[in-house]
Amino acid sequence: MRRREFLALAGAALAAPFAGKASAQVQNWPDKPVKLILPYAPGGGTDLIGRPWAEKLSHSLGQQFIIENRGGAGGMIGTEAAAKAAPDGYTFLLTPNATLSVLPSLRKTPYDPKSFLPVGRVGDFVTGFSMHPAVGPKTFKEMIEYAKVNPGKLSYGSAGLGTATHLRIEMLKYRAGIDILHVPYRGSADALNDHLPNTVQMMNEINTIPHVKAGKLLLLNINNAARHPDFPDVPTLTECGYANSDVPIWYSLFAPAGTAKAIVAKLNAKIIEIANSEEMRDRMRSINTVVPTQTPEEMVAYLEEDTARNVELIKATNMKLE
Amino acid sequence: MRMRSSQDFTAGLLLLAFGLAGLWIGADYPMGTAPRPGTGVLPHILSWCLVATGVLLWLKAALAGSPPLTAWAWRPAIMVTLATVAFALLVDRLGLVVAMIVSMTLTALGTPDTRWREYLVFALLMLGLGVGLFIYGLGMPIPALPTGYAWN
Amino acid sequence: MELGGLLANLGLGFSVAVSLQNLLWCLAGAVIGTCIGVLPGIGPVATMALLLPVTYLLPAEGALIMLAGIYYGAQYGGSTTAILVNLPGESSSVVTTLDGYQMARQGRAGPALAIAALGSFFAGCVATIAIALAAPPLTRLAQQFTPPDYFSLMTLGLVFAIVLARGSVLKAFGMVFLGMLLGLIGTDVNTGNLRYTFGISDLFDGIGFVPLAMGVFGIAEIIANLTNSERAELASSKVSGLMPTREDMRRSIAPILRGTVLGGLLGILPGGGAILASFSAYTLEKKFSRTPEKFGTGMIEGVAAPESANNAAAQTSFIPMLTLGIPSNAVMAMMIGGMMIHGIVPGPQVMEQRPGLFWGMIVSMWFGNLMLIVLNLPLIGIWVRLLLVPYRLLAIAILFFCCIGVYSLNNSANEVLMIAVFGLFGYLLMKLDFEPAPLLLGFLLGPMMEVYMRRTMLLSRGDPWVFLQRPLSLCFLLLAALLLVFVVLPNVRKARQAAFQE
Repeated sequence: MRRREFLALAGAALAAPFAGKASAQVQNWPDKPVKLILPYAPGGGTDLIGRPWAEKLSHSLGQQFIIENRGGAGGMIGTEAAAKAAPDGYTFLLTPNATLSVLPSLRKTPYDPKSFLPVGRVGDFVTGFSMHPAVGPKTFKEMIEYAKVNPGKLSYGSAGLGTATHLRIEMLKYRAGIDILHVPYRGSADALNDHLPNTVQMMNEINTIPHVKAGKLLLLNINNAARHPDFPDVPTLTECGYANSDVPIWYSLFAPAGTAKAIVAKLNAKIIEIANSEEMRDRMRSINTVVPTQTPEEMVAYLEEDTARNVELIKATNMKLE
Repeated sequence: MRMRSSQDFTAGLLLLAFGLAGLWIGADYPMGTAPRPGTGVLPHILSWCLVATGVLLWLKAALAGSPPLTAWAWRPAIMVTLATVAFALLVDRLGLVVAMIVSMTLTALGTPDTRWREYLVFALLMLGLGVGLFIYGLGMPIPALPTGYAWN
Repeated sequence: MELGGLLANLGLGFSVAVSLQNLLWCLAGAVIGTCIGVLPGIGPVATMALLLPVTYLLPAEGALIMLAGIYYGAQYGGSTTAILVNLPGESSSVVTTLDGYQMARQGRAGPALAIAALGSFFAGCVATIAIALAAPPLTRLAQQFTPPDYFSLMTLGLVFAIVLARGSVLKAFGMVFLGMLLGLIGTDVNTGNLRYTFGISDLFDGIGFVPLAMGVFGIAEIIANLTNSERAELASSKVSGLMPTREDMRRSIAPILRGTVLGGLLGILPGGGAILASFSAYTLEKKFSRTPEKFGTGMIEGVAAPESANNAAAQTSFIPMLTLGIPSNAVMAMMIGGMMIHGIVPGPQVMEQRPGLFWGMIVSMWFGNLMLIVLNLPLIGIWVRLLLVPYRLLAIAILFFCCIGVYSLNNSANEVLMIAVFGLFGYLLMKLDFEPAPLLLGFLLGPMMEVYMRRTMLLSRGDPWVFLQRPLSLCFLLLAALLLVFVVLPNVRKARQAAFQE
C-alpha cells in the first residue's frame, strides 16, 4: 500500500468515530434550549419580528428558542456577545442589517461583521417616506419638487444616528440632490411623537403605517421592491424613478463563526419552511413585514451588496456620527 | 485655621474639585455649532456651575462660619464597603453562598454591637432565604456553590 | 363622549375584565409586580421581558392585563422599601424617602405605608376615569408639547429639585449640578463620543440609576446608622400604630387630590412627564404648606402627594400608548411588544377595531388598583414587623438585598462594585450636609434636558430664542425663574446680614 493511501486510510480510521459523533450532533440538534441574542432593548422593532419567530421555531423544532435582549451602544454590545459565543449551534444572533452592514462603516466595532455565518432571513419591513398632511406636498414627486424649491426647510426624523432610517434620508438626499434636515431621535416611537404634530415633517418607519391608515399621515412611496398590499396606489421608489436608492431594513439570524455548516443548513431550511407558511405570512403582514427567503450563500452575497452600497453612501455624503 | 475644618469649606472644596475635574477632563470635548450643540456644551456649563457653587460655599463658610466636621466613622464605612466589594468579587467566582457568608460577616464585623451567636443563626437563615428565593425561586443564573463542586 | 356611550363602553370593558381568567391574570400581575417592586433592583421592565413568552399562551386581553398589573404593582411595591429602609427602587420613589423614611424612624412606618397605598388607590381610580372619559382630548393636549416645551418643563423640574431640599439652597444647587454631570457620563447618543468614561467599558452606557440610588441612599444610610447606636435605634424602632390617625387622613386629603391632578397631567406626556410627577407634587405641597420647613422631617403630606402623583402618572402614561401607539417609557414599549405578539398593531385604530381590548384594559386597571390595595394593606403589618428586627441584623439583610438586587439587573458584579463606591460617596455627602435627593433628580433630568436642548436647536436651525417664543416654554421658564427667586432671595438677605455682622 502506498504511503499516501495508507495515511488517508489511517486518517479516515481515526476520524471515523468523530465523524459519526458530528453527524449525530447535527441530527439531534437542537436537544436543549437555543438562545437568540437580540442586540437591542426589549420592546423595539427587532422584538416585533423576533418574538413570533422564536415561538414558531420553538414549535417546529421541539426546543425552546429563547430571546435574550442585550441592548446598548446601538447594537454593538449584543452583537459582540454573539460573536464571542460558543459556536455549538445553541446561540444565534437575531439582528437587523444595521449592526453588520452599517455600523462597522461608521465606527470601530469589537466584532468582525464578516465572521458571522448567515442562517436565514426572518423579515423585511415594508414602509416608505411618510409626510405630514399639513406641509403641502401630497405625492413623492411633489415632495421632491418642494424640497428643491425650499432647501433645508423640510425636516425628517430617524430612529437615531447610523440607523437604517437615517441612511434612508441620506440616500434620498444624495440621489435626488435635495437638502432635508435630518433630526435623530431615540428610537422610532420618539420620532413618531414629534411627527404627528408636524414638529418633524417626514419619517420612514413602520410605526407610521397605522396613522396613515387613520388618515393622520400621508404615505408617499414604498422603499421596497414591491408595493405594500394594503396600499395598492402607493408607488415604489423604483417606480418613482429612483432605482437602487433603497437602504433595506432586513432582519436575519446569524451564527457565530465556527458553527457547524450542517446545523446552519438545517435551521435555514426550517426558516424557509416557516416563512412560506400562510400563517407566518399573515402574521408578518400584520406588522408590515414580508419574509423573502434565501439560502445562506445568497445571504452572504446580499450582505456584501448591502454593505458596499452603504459604504459608498457614507463616503459620498461624508457621513459621520456627529 | 478654624475655617479649614468647617463643613461648608470642605463641601465647597468637593464641588470645586468636581467642577475643575469636569473642565479638565472635558477640555477636548467638541462644542459643535449653534444648530448642533456638541458633546462638550453641557459638561462645560455644568462644570463652571459647580466651580461657582463651590466658591460661593467658601465665601459662605468664610463670612458666616459653619459647623465643624464631625468625626468619621471609619470602621463601619470600611467594613460595609469591603462587604459590598467582597460580594461583587466573590459571587461570580465562588458562588452565592460564599459571597454571602463573607459579606455578611464583614458587615457584622463593622457593626458595633454584634452578638455572634445571634449572628450565626441569622446568617444561616439569610443563606437559606438568599439561595431559596433567588436561585430556586426566581431562577437567577448564579452558582450557589463554588464551581467544581457537584451540586445538583 | 356622552354618558350613554361611556356606559356602554364600560359595560363592554367589565364584561371582558370580569371573566375569571382575566381577573386571575390581573391578580397574578399585581402580585408579581408588588414582589418585584419591593425587591430593590429588579424592575418591572426586566420582569415583563422575562414573562413575555408566557403571554404567548394567553389570549391578548389576558396578556396585556397581566403585564399592566406587573407595572403598577411595581409602583406600589417600590414605595415600600423607600419608606422602610430609605431605598428608592424606582425613580418615582426617590421623593418618598424624604418624609416617608423619616416617618418610619419616628415609628410611623405603618401610617406612611397606609397613606401611600390609599393615596395611590385614589389616584389610580381617578386616572382610570380620566382615561375612560378623556383619552382622546388628553392625547391632543399632550401633542401640543414640542421639544422646547419639554426642555423648559424639565428646567422647572430642576428648580423643583432645588426647592424641595430642606437644608442649604446653595448645597442643593451643587447637588443638582453634580447629579446632572454624573448623568452625562457615558456615550453621547447624538455623536457617539464618550464622556468621562476613562476607558471603563461598564461606563459606556452611563451610570445606572439603581446602583447610584442604592449606594447614595441605601448603603450610605447603613454606614451612618452603624456609626451611631442612637441613630440605629430609630432605624428599627418601636412601632406606634399601624393605621393612620384621623389627623393623618385629614391632612392627606388635599395633597392626594393635588398630587393626582398634577401626576395625571404629567403622565400623558410621552416625552418623560411621569418622572417629574412625584417631585413636582412634593414641591407643590411644600409651597402650599403652612410649615414648609418641616418637610423632610416626616410630614405625611410629603408621602401622600408624591405617591398619588406617581400612581396617577403611571396610569395616564397608558394613554399615548393606547390612543397613538406611542410608548412613554420602556414599560409601555413592552406592552406594545405584547400587543404585537398577538397581532394587534397599536395605533389610533385600536380603540375602534378592538374596543373589547381597549375598554377591558381600562376596567381591569381599576380592578388592578383594587387588588393591590387589598393585597398591600394587610402586608403593612408584616413590613412594619420586619422593622422590629434589631438593626445590627437588619443592616446585614439590607446590604445583602442591595447587592443581589443590583447584581440581578444585568448579572453584573461590576455594578455591585459601583454601589460600594457610591455608598462611600453618599456617606461623604451626608457628612458634609449635602442632600442626596437633588443629586438623583439632577441625574435623571440632566441627560433628558440635553436631548431636548439639542433637538430644539436643531429644529430651530440654531435659534435659541425659540425657547421664549413658544408660549408653553415661556410659561415654564418664567415659573422656574420666579420660583428660583423666591428660594434664593431669603438666602441672599441672610448672607448679607451675616456679612454685615462680621
